[in-house]
Amino acid sequence: MSLFLASVGFGLVTASVLAIAAVGFSVQFGVTDVINLAYGSVMIASAYVAYFVNQLGPGVSIWLAMLVAAVLGALLSLVINKYVYAPFQRRGMAPIGIVIVSLGMLLIIEYTIQAVQGTGNLSYTMSQGPTLTFAGLILSGVQLAIIGLSVVFMVGLHLLLRYTRFGKAMRATAADRTLARNCGIRTDRVVTLACLLTGALCGISGTTFAINLGSFGATSADLFLVMILAAVFLGGPGQPYGAMLGALVIGVITEVSAVFITADYKYVPAFVILLVILAVRPRGIFNAGAIG
Amino acid sequence: MSQATLFYLANLLTYGAVDVIACLGLSMQFGVAGISNFGYILFQAAGAYTAAILALPPDTANGGFQKYIGGWGLPFPVPLIGAAVVGGLIALPFTLLVGRRLTGHVAAIGLLVTAVMFNLLVTNFVPLFNGAAGLSLVPQPLQNVFNPQSQTYQWVYGAGAALLALGTYFLFRRITESPYGRSLRAMRDNGQVADSLGKDLLSMRTAMLVLGGMAAGLSGGVLVGFITLWDPGAWGYAETIVLFAAVIIGGSGNHKGAVLGALLVPLGFEEASRFIPSSLGPPGMIPALQWVAIGLLIVGFLWFRPQGVIPEPRRKVFAWAQGRLAGPRDGVAGPVTSPAMSPPAGEAATPRGGAILSTEGVVVDFGGVKAVDGVSLSVQRGRLSGLIGPNGAGKSTLLAALAGSVRVAEGRIYFEGQDVTQMPTYLRARAGLVRTFQLASEFKRLTVVENLISAVPGQRGDTFRGSLRGRRYWGREELAAIERARELMERFGLIEYADTYAGNLSGGQRRLVEIMRALMAEPRLLLLDEPMAGIHPSLARKIGANLQQLCAEGMTILLVEHELAFMDEFCDPVTVLAEGRILAEGTMVELRRHAEVVEAYLVG
Amino acid sequence: MSAEIAGAQVRGAALATELLSAGYQGRPVVQELSIRVDPGEVVSVVGPNGSGKSTLLKALIGVVQVLGGRVLWEGREVTNWSPDAAARAGVGYVPQVDDVFAPLTVKENLEMGGYLLPVREVPGRITHVLDVFPQLSRMLSRRAGRLSGGERKMLAMGRVLMLQPRAFVLDEPTANLAPALANMVLEDHIRQLSATGASVLIVEQRARAVLAISDRTYVMAGGRCQLEGTPAELIASPDFAETFLGGARRPAAPTGD
Repeated sequence: MSLFLASVGFGLVTASVLAIAAVGFSVQFGVTDVINLAYGSVMIASAYVAYFVNQLGPGVSIWLAMLVAAVLGALLSLVINKYVYAPFQRRGMAPIGIVIVSLGMLLIIEYTIQAVQGTGNLSYTMSQGPTLTFAGLILSGVQLAIIGLSVVFMVGLHLLLRYTRFGKAMRATAADRTLARNCGIRTDRVVTLACLLTGALCGISGTTFAINLGSFGATSADLFLVMILAAVFLGGPGQPYGAMLGALVIGVITEVSAVFITADYKYVPAFVILLVILAVRPRGIFNAGAIG
Repeated sequence: MSQATLFYLANLLTYGAVDVIACLGLSMQFGVAGISNFGYILFQAAGAYTAAILALPPDTANGGFQKYIGGWGLPFPVPLIGAAVVGGLIALPFTLLVGRRLTGHVAAIGLLVTAVMFNLLVTNFVPLFNGAAGLSLVPQPLQNVFNPQSQTYQWVYGAGAALLALGTYFLFRRITESPYGRSLRAMRDNGQVADSLGKDLLSMRTAMLVLGGMAAGLSGGVLVGFITLWDPGAWGYAETIVLFAAVIIGGSGNHKGAVLGALLVPLGFEEASRFIPSSLGPPGMIPALQWVAIGLLIVGFLWFRPQGVIPEPRRKVFAWAQGRLAGPRDGVAGPVTSPAMSPPAGEAATPRGGAILSTEGVVVDFGGVKAVDGVSLSVQRGRLSGLIGPNGAGKSTLLAALAGSVRVAEGRIYFEGQDVTQMPTYLRARAGLVRTFQLASEFKRLTVVENLISAVPGQRGDTFRGSLRGRRYWGREELAAIERARELMERFGLIEYADTYAGNLSGGQRRLVEIMRALMAEPRLLLLDEPMAGIHPSLARKIGANLQQLCAEGMTILLVEHELAFMDEFCDPVTVLAEGRILAEGTMVELRRHAEVVEAYLVG
Repeated sequence: MSAEIAGAQVRGAALATELLSAGYQGRPVVQELSIRVDPGEVVSVVGPNGSGKSTLLKALIGVVQVLGGRVLWEGREVTNWSPDAAARAGVGYVPQVDDVFAPLTVKENLEMGGYLLPVREVPGRITHVLDVFPQLSRMLSRRAGRLSGGERKMLAMGRVLMLQPRAFVLDEPTANLAPALANMVLEDHIRQLSATGASVLIVEQRARAVLAISDRTYVMAGGRCQLEGTPAELIASPDFAETFLGGARRPAAPTGD
C-alpha cells in the first residue's frame, strides 16, 4: 500500500513535469499547426543551458538557471518555427512533410548537444530539500517545488488565456487566423509571442524534467516525447486544458505501472493508451471540439 | 591491394546491399504509395531476430549464456526466408493504424510510437529476446561447409546479398511501373479520389506494408547472418530517420533514387567516418556530428531539392504507346477497337428507361444540421439529368451521399436494384457508380494519359499479382486503354498534353482531365459535380453535346451545375433542391413556370 | 469610360468600385463592375449562384485580388488593401462562413471584435452592441460554437459592430438559415445596423427578402451587373426573375461562391 502511495507521489511529480511540457506543446500546435517532434530536443537543450548556468559558481541556484533555460527555450522555439517550419508551411508542404522536417530538427539539436557534451550524463548541483510526508505521500522538497511550480504555471496559463487580451487573441488566432486578421489582430505577432511563451514552457519543463530524472543526457527526452504526445492526443491536440488532464492521467499511470509491472515497462501503458486513441479517436478523448 | 582493403571492400558490398534492400522497401511505401512508416526499422529488427533464432541452436547450447525462443538450428536459406516472412507478417497489425480511417501524419506518429514501444519492450525483455544484450554467435549460412573467415566466403556472401538487392530492385520496379503501381501513385497523390475510382485503399496499403516489411525483414536477415550479432540497441527509431533521409535525398518515388540514397546516406556516412581520426574532439563527437549532418541533409534537401538527386521520372506512357503502334504490327497491339465514347459492353443490351438509381428519404446529418433532408429521387436510365438549387441547398452533399463519400443517417440508396446504402465508395465505383469532385482532384504527379488510364476498371495489371506478371501480361490491355484515352484527349483537345503532369495544367484543363478520367471508368451512372466551372463557354457546350451523345448511347449522367443556361440546353429532367429537400422536377421550361422554383431562387 | 467621368460617378460615395475586375489566379470572376454605396444607404447585390457576388465583396475588402479598376473608400483609393486595414479604416466585413471564433465565448468574440479599440473603451462598446442586439446579453458566457445559426449571425454582426464601422459589408448573412430566421436577420438585424447611421452593402441570394430592406439593388449575373435600380423598379422589371433562372452569360472562371 505504501509502495502504491509512493508511486502516486512520483506520478504526481512526473505529471507536473509532463503538464508543463504537454501544455506548451499543445498550445504551440494550436497556434502554429505543427506537430513539432523536435520539442523534446529543445527541452534537453534548455536543460543543458540550465546546467551550465548552474555550474557557473557554487552559489548559482538551479531555480535561477531555470529562468535562463526558459529564455533559451523561448528563443530556440521561435527560431525553429519562424525560420524553419513557417517557410515550409508557406510553400504549402503537407503536414506529414513538416513532421519529417521536425524529425530532422530533432536530430540536429539533440546531436549538436551530444557533439559538444559527449555521451555522458550530467547532474545539477542542488539540494533535495527536506523530505516531507503528507497523507502517506513521501516527497522531497524539490519534488514539492516542481508540483507547486506546475500548479502555478497551469493557473497562470489559465488566467492568461481567459482573462488577458493577448491570451484571447492567441486563442482567436488558433481558432481562425483569417478571421483574427479581419478583426485587426496582428496574427504574425501573436504567433511570435505564442512561440516564445510555449518555448519558455518547453525550457522550464526541460529543466524540471532533468531535475526529476536526477541525471540526464542528450537523448534523455526521446521517450518523454512520446509521453508528451500521449498526453496531448489524450486531451485533443491544441487543447491546453485537455493536455493538463492528459498529463495527469499519463503521468500517474506511468509511475503506478512502475510498481505493478516493472520499472522497465512503465512507459508501455502510456504508449498503448496513445495508440488506442490514435486508432479510435485521433481528435482526443477529452476534446470538447475546440480550444476551450 | 592489401588483404585488409579487400576484406573491407567485401564488407562494404554486404552492408551496401543490406541498406539498398531496406531503402527499396521504404521507397515503395513512402515514395510510391505515400505511407509514412516511421516504424520501419522495427520490421528490419524483427527480420533479423527471426533469422537469428532460426539459425541458432537451442538456447541451452553454448552454456546457455543467452536466452531466446526457438533455436531450431535450421540451415540456409531457411533463416533468410523466415526473416522476410516475419517482416511481412508483423506488418498486418500495423494495417489497423494505417487503414482507411487513419491516414497522414497521425498514422505516422502512431507508427513511430509503436516502434519506440517495441524497442523498449525488446530491450528489456530477457526471456524472449535476451534483453539489451541481444543475441550473439548467430551461425552464418553454410558455415559448416565453408570457412566464414575466408575472404572468398566474404566475397560470395557480398555477391549473394548484392544479387538479392538487385532482385528486389527489379521486382519493385516491375510493380511500380505496372497499372497497379500507377494506382499506388494515384493513392499517394489523392486517396479520396482514388477511392472514388474504385481503388481499394485498404488492400493497397496492406500490400505495401507487407511488401515493405518483407524487404526490411530480409535486409535484417542478411545483416545478422553476416555480423552474427543481433543488438536491439542498433534499431532505435533514429535509424528509421536515416532511411527516410536516404529515400528523400536519393529521390522519392523512384527506386534508382532509393539505391543511390542507400549508398550515400547509411553506407556513405558509416564509411566516411572511418577516415576521420577518432582523436578529434571529445569521445562520441564524430558519430554525433554524423547525426547532425543527417538532420541538416533532411531539412536542406526538403527545402532546396525536395525531388531528390534523382527525381521521380515522368512516365511518357503515351509516347511509348505511339511508338508501339507505329512500329510493325506484330499483333501484340492489334487493331484496337476504341470504345472510348461508347457505353461499356453489354450495356446496350439493357433496356432503356426505368430507374438506374433511386433513393428513399435520404438524410445526411452534419452535427445536427441536415444538409440533405429526406430526399427521394430516381434517376432515369439513359438520361442526362440535372440537379440545381441555390447555394447551400445540399446538391454536392447529395452527390457525395450517392457515391458513398459521406455517411447517410437515414434512408436507402438503390443502384441497379441493389441496396448500396452501406456499400463502401470503391465498391460502388466498381459497380459503375462514379463521381467527380467540385474541387480540383487530378492526380498531380501522374501525366494526363496516366490520369485517364488509371480509371479503367478491371485491368489485369491493376492487381498485386497481375503486376508481378509483367508487361507481357498487361501490356496489350494498356495499349488499348491508351488508345481509348487518345480518342478522348483528341475530342477534348488535350492530346498535346498527353505526357504532361496533370498538376501542371491550367484550371480548366484539369477539369477536363477529371471529366475524361471519369468517362474512362466506364460508369453506368456518372455523377458530375459542377463540371463546367472554369471551362470556356464554347467548350462547355461542346462537352454538353458529348455528354448528351453518351447518354443516347446508354450511359446515365446526373449533373450538378449552377449555370442554368447549360441546364436549358442539355439536361432533362432537372431536379430542384432547396434546403436539403426536393422542390420540383421537370424540364427547365416547366420549372420556369413553377412559381415555387422561381420563389426558391429569389428567396433562397 | 474615361477616368474623369468615373470619378464624377463616385464622388460623395462612402464605398465604391470603378470598373472593378477581380478573381482567382489571374482569372477574373467579377468583370468591370462599378457600384456605389452612399453614406447611410442600404445597398444590396443579388444574383444567381456563381454570379460573382461574394467575389465582389472579397475584392472590396482585400481578400481576393483586384485585377483591374479601383476600390474607393470615402473618396480615397484603397484598391487591394488588407482586411485588417479595412477594419481599421471603418469597414466591417462579415464573411459568409467562419464568421465567429467558435471556441471563444460570445463576450470574448465581442472583445476580439473590439481588438483595435483602447482597452478602456471595450466594455462600453460591448454595452452598446448589446443594446443593438439585446438577445446576445443572455448568452455572453456561452461558446460561440454552441450557438444556433441565427444567434451566430447576430454575434458575427455584433462583433463587427464593436468598431463602430461607417460601412458594413455582409456576405449572404442568411445562408444556411431557415426562412423565418432569415427574414428576421434581414428585417431586424440589418435594420438595426443601418440605424447606427452606417452604410450597408449586402450580398444576398434571397432576392425578394433583401429587396424589401434595400434602398438600391444591383443584379449580378456572369460576373457583371445586369440590372440596377430601386426595389420597386426591379420588381416591375420583366427581366428581373429571368436573370435568376438563366439566359445570363456564363461566368468565365470558377467562382468563390
